[in-house]
Formats: sequence, C-alpha cells, structure tokens
Amino acid sequence: MRGGGRVWWVVAMLVVAHFFLHVGLGLGGGAPDLLTVALLVGARETRMGNAAALGFAFGLLEDAFSVLAFGANTVAMTIVGASGARTRDLFVGDSLIFLVSYMFLGKWVRDLLHWISMGEGARHSFVEALLIGAPLEAAYVAVVGVVVVAVLGGSWETVS
Amino acid sequence: MPPFSGELGEVRGRGQLYGMVTMVGLALIVWSSGPATKQRIAAFLRQTVLRPFVLTQQGIAQARVNAATADLLQTAVDSLEAELINQRTLREENAQLRTLLALSERLGDNFVAASVLRAGTAGSESILILDAGAPQGIQVNAPIIASGGLLGVVREVRDRTSIGVDWSNPDFRAAAMTEDASVSGFIEARQRVFGDLDRLLLNGVPFHQQLEPGTQIVTSGLGGVFPRGIPIGVVDSEAESRAGWLRAYWLRPVVNPGEVTHALVSLGPTGGGGLETAFDSGADSLSGNNGDPDDGLPRNGGVR
Repeated sequence: MRGGGRVWWVVAMLVVAHFFLHVGLGLGGGAPDLLTVALLVGARETRMGNAAALGFAFGLLEDAFSVLAFGANTVAMTIVGASGARTRDLFVGDSLIFLVSYMFLGKWVRDLLHWISMGEGARHSFVEALLIGAPLEAAYVAVVGVVVVAVLGGSWETVS
Repeated sequence: MPPFSGELGEVRGRGQLYGMVTMVGLALIVWSSGPATKQRIAAFLRQTVLRPFVLTQQGIAQARVNAATADLLQTAVDSLEAELINQRTLREENAQLRTLLALSERLGDNFVAASVLRAGTAGSESILILDAGAPQGIQVNAPIIASGGLLGVVREVRDRTSIGVDWSNPDFRAAAMTEDASVSGFIEARQRVFGDLDRLLLNGVPFHQQLEPGTQIVTSGLGGVFPRGIPIGVVDSEAESRAGWLRAYWLRPVVNPGEVTHALVSLGPTGGGGLETAFDSGADSLSGNNGDPDDGLPRNGGVR
C-alpha cells in the first residue's frame, strides 16, 4: 500500500475505533479521543481546505450525541483541522518533540474551542475544564498520537 | 499555455483558503442553527453512520442484563415449578411472576421499559439513549424513572430510539415537595465542583420552613411533566438563604444516573393520579437505586 493510502486507512480505523470505544462500549472519558488523533494525523497529510472539511465531518459525527451543545464540536474540529494543515507550512514534523507538542496542543486547543462554543449553561469552570481536565486528556492524546505515528512509520506526512 | 508551477501553487493555495473559509462558515451555520435543524441532523447521523455503534452498545447492554438476570430467571423458573407441583392456580403463578417486576406492577401499565445507553462522546455527558421510541408510545417530555426514583426526561423521540436528559443536565427542572406536601420548591441541577459529584438543589423553599437533613423530596406534580410522588432525593444540608425570604437545600439524589441500565418511561398521565405508593422499600428490581431503604432517614415530613 502506498504511504498516503496507509495514512488514510489508519485515520479511518481511528474514527471507527473512537466510536466503537465511546459509543459502542460506552467507555466515555476512559477511552482516548481518537477522533482528534485521526484529525491531527489527517490534517498533516492534506491541505487546509480539505483538512477543514475533514474536521467538519468529524465534528458533526461527534455532535450527533450532543443535545445541548450541538455544533460546538463541529466548530472546534473544523478550526483545528485547518490549523493542523497550516502547521505543515510552519514546522517540519520529523521530531518526537514536535509530534508530542502538536498532538498535545491540538487536543487542548480543540477542547478550548469546544468549551467556548458550548455556552455558559452547559460547561464547567475554565480552571476545571481547561487547566486541569484538558491537559490530562491532551497528554493522553499525545501518547496515543505518538503510538499511531510510530505505527505509520515512514508513511507519516507524504504530501509534499 | 499551462501556468508556471508557482502560479499553479498560488491558485491551489487560494482555493484551499476559500475551502477553509467555507467549511468554517458551514460549521458556524450548523452551530447557530435552530434546535429543530440540529435535532434533524443529529438524528440522521445517529440513524445512519453511527447506528452500528449504537446497536453495539444496545447488544452489550442486553447481554449484560441477560447475565445479571440469569439467577433471577432461574429463581422464577424454580418458583413456577414449585407452584405447578403444588397445583396452584394459573392466576397465582402469574402473580408470582409479577412480583419479579416489582416496580412495573406498582406503577401500572402506563409505563414502558427501556434500556438506558450512554454515548460517551464529548458534550453528551448527561444525555441518555433509550431503546424505545414513538412506536412504543413515548412522547417528548415523558418522565424517565429508575427503581429508586426520578432519572430524567425525554427530549427527542424517534422511530427506534429516544433521547433524554438525566437530572444532572443543567437544563433539568422539576417541581418538588416533601412527602407530606408541607414544603414545596423546585429542583435544579448544579454541576460538580472538581472531584465532587453532580448535585441537586431544592430551591424556592419559604424562609420560615426548615427541612431536616434526610427528609425525602418527591415530585409535586406541578407543571404536569412529572407525576406526583416520584422520589428525587433526600435533603443533605442547607445551601443558602436569601435575605430572609427563601431557603435552598442540597439534595442527595436517590438515583445515580451513571449506574442506571434500565428505566421506565411514562406513556401519559397515571390513572390513579400520583405515584406516592409506587416507591417503597421493595423497589429494587432495576439497577440504579442507591437509596438505602433501611438508612434510618425520615421518610415523611421532616419539617422543622
């Protein structure tokens, strides 16, 4: 399989695994946010508009179970997808430090945008949600992201 | 003449920028659209792309219930066999079986049983998915009741499923009173402070009426959404008093939403009016009851 195809196959598997763990098994916060990992990996493989579309689609799927804050995930993931693709022009993603930072910040910014979009009625306090909870989840995503990229090996970032 | 590569890259870059702006615009339109549009989109996704995952959870929940109730069913079979041996009447056997459905029997036929599923995705923390919908007679705003008491309310009804919110949802409200109806107020959810559990607040209690810790609070039936007499929680402590006019009390909920796997959904007004007699110490057949009937707490009154 060609490198780019392999990446998109892994992205698709991450999406399926995310909903299997969160919805199928109902694990909730115990399972990592594989949808964000898939978006961040996919965003580095494509251009800004396509990455935004990818984030839009992922966000809509995530929002399907959100009654009060429908659209919050869509907005957050669309912007994160576009920003993730934009980082290709700014950083060469070949180091572990970059990868960990990219995954960590990507997830934290996604949570920040989601928190902002949710509205006051449905969200926890800023300190609790974004300074305590979100960094832990971002670290979880960073670890999983490193594993995923290690699995991808040389296929990571094939778009010139 | 084909454009130079730099020129081509610029055109592609501009296209990607327009694409990005379009997608962000679409996302903002979805985010700011009306509740009906949002419900339609969400329902479409749940019933198409995400349906296999919902079915998976339904299957797992059903298997878990089957495993948990195997002993109960064996007991029922043994009881039936014993009844047959003793040549009891069919009516008596039927009554024996119905005792296994303790709460359902006490509530009457105006309720439908449903499995409670959780999405587990971001933003769906207090959302319930019920595996019963419009064909079973469920309607929007129907109360959802676990064995211990009030769990939540239905928000959306579809062909195969319904979506509800539990009492921990910030939008949840219910008119409430003490069991002897001497004190009334309204219930609202308060989100947890870090490390704590979601709590219920009994608000709007007249200042001259004080409640003892442990006093049982039930639905009052005002507003017509929840039938009268469904247990909500027990008074834990006083939360605040406002300038000599009103008091508010923290409640310890009788139902922990995270533990509920099955619930009953009301199909309409109860024939006999309230449900005061439906919830007694024997109502433990469904999961999710963390209320201890022998906890020594006062059940009636408790007003100082």
